Amino acid sequence: MYRISDEQVEYILDDIRRGGIETEDLQLNLLDHICCIIERELEPGADFERFYRHTLRRFYKSQLREIEEETARSLTFKNYYSMKKLMLMSGALSTASLIAGSIFKIQHWPGAGVLLALGIASFSLLFLPLLAILKAREVAHTRDRIVLTLACLLGIVFSMATLFTIMHWPGASALWFTAIGISAFVLLPVYFFTGIRRPETKLNTMLISILLVGFTGLQFTLMNTRPGKTQAQIRIQAYLQSEALLHSIQPSAMSPTAAYIDATCEQIKTLALEHAASDPATLLREGRPGDQFIHDGTGVRLIRSLRDSVAAYDRGYGAEILPIRNTVLDGDPTQIGYVYTNVSLLQAVSQLQLYLATAEGRKLATAAK
Amino acid sequence: MIFSSELIKGTLKTIVLKLLADNGKMYGYEITQRVKELTADRIQLTEGALYPTLHALEQEGLLTTQVEYMGKRVRKYYSLSPTGKTRSQEKVTEFSEFLGTMRILLGLDIKTA
Repeated sequence: MYRISDEQVEYILDDIRRGGIETEDLQLNLLDHICCIIERELEPGADFERFYRHTLRRFYKSQLREIEEETARSLTFKNYYSMKKLMLMSGALSTASLIAGSIFKIQHWPGAGVLLALGIASFSLLFLPLLAILKAREVAHTRDRIVLTLACLLGIVFSMATLFTIMHWPGASALWFTAIGISAFVLLPVYFFTGIRRPETKLNTMLISILLVGFTGLQFTLMNTRPGKTQAQIRIQAYLQSEALLHSIQPSAMSPTAAYIDATCEQIKTLALEHAASDPATLLREGRPGDQFIHDGTGVRLIRSLRDSVAAYDRGYGAEILPIRNTVLDGDPTQIGYVYTNVSLLQAVSQLQLYLATAEGRKLATAAK
Repeated sequence: MIFSSELIKGTLKTIVLKLLADNGKMYGYEITQRVKELTADRIQLTEGALYPTLHALEQEGLLTTQVEYMGKRVRKYYSLSPTGKTRSQEKVTEFSEFLGTMRILLGLDIKTA
């Protein structure tokens, strides 16, 4: 039996590394394997170098690197299966949660938003990229791979735009524009010109391109005819609704404290509206109670006086009929501009008037009995 | 007669799993020698096919490994994991059914019958 010296072991390891075997595990496996062969088959005193070269030559067809590549291939092939499994699972998950989310949404059940967001997120961030990666392995041309990647990207942006729209998150219209831009100016030309040149895909390319143009056009029209509401618009609408409600339930008579509270509320609202009226756009642009309110001191004084009379009203009842905690009356009025916009201040004050009108209305009804 | 590497390639996993099921822990060189011995040199596993297969089986969780340090060398012993044991039986059964089907397909049974 031939005895291999440490220098020879080093030499072999070095040679394998230089031959293109990069995985350490594989290096050590091959090293031991070669050493075993040499120990068993080489006569003591024979030419080590020549025998080593001869042995190594049996390992590959043209290059030693083949073993490394084959190992890498068999490992990615394994990933291929787990990726495929993950793709199918994320597809099933997104389909199930989208269907469930849609049903919840039209029934106004809680949890619709979570389900839809989960469905769209798993569809666009797991399913689509995995589909693109797996499909990209199957197509031969680089151009087809580019088309696949672009289509996947478009799918992701499109899904995200939908998600942002239904969740009323800011930036939805920017995403829609991006999606339409990618579709019309990037994907469509690339797809059309790669497909139209090959006779076997010509007809399909024309049909799909027409569909793509149609969908992009429809989406563009939809986007422009139905602009999304801004948060400010939603708040203004809520305020107008509480004003209308207040008007309809206003009691015929009020106690003096109640009448004073109601009048103070009106004064605060007038002040906030006057401030907004100097520049109507501030109302929409979520302007905040500014100088008249704080530095002039009128607004701050009104709010302080309102808080005192509300506290007095509550004391008269012996219960917190008109809430103070966590409302506009809670906290330092000089800091109001940091917490409230003009619109949310209007809404908060008319909310207080609604409480008051309800309480006074109830009192009148009990007195009438 | 030495069988072509194409024929061996599809059955390599089965061979490795079965050998490990019968012999417990083995290292690479030992596997090639055992196959040579059992088949009277008719099947010779090439290193270029054996090691990628061993690494793939290890990643699939079918094999567990154990290393032994021998001076500057490291010997890696492979043995079957619990899933590897069941997979080994499945693979052997699958292959024997495949053999039966191939007999029918290639008309080999008619001659013997």
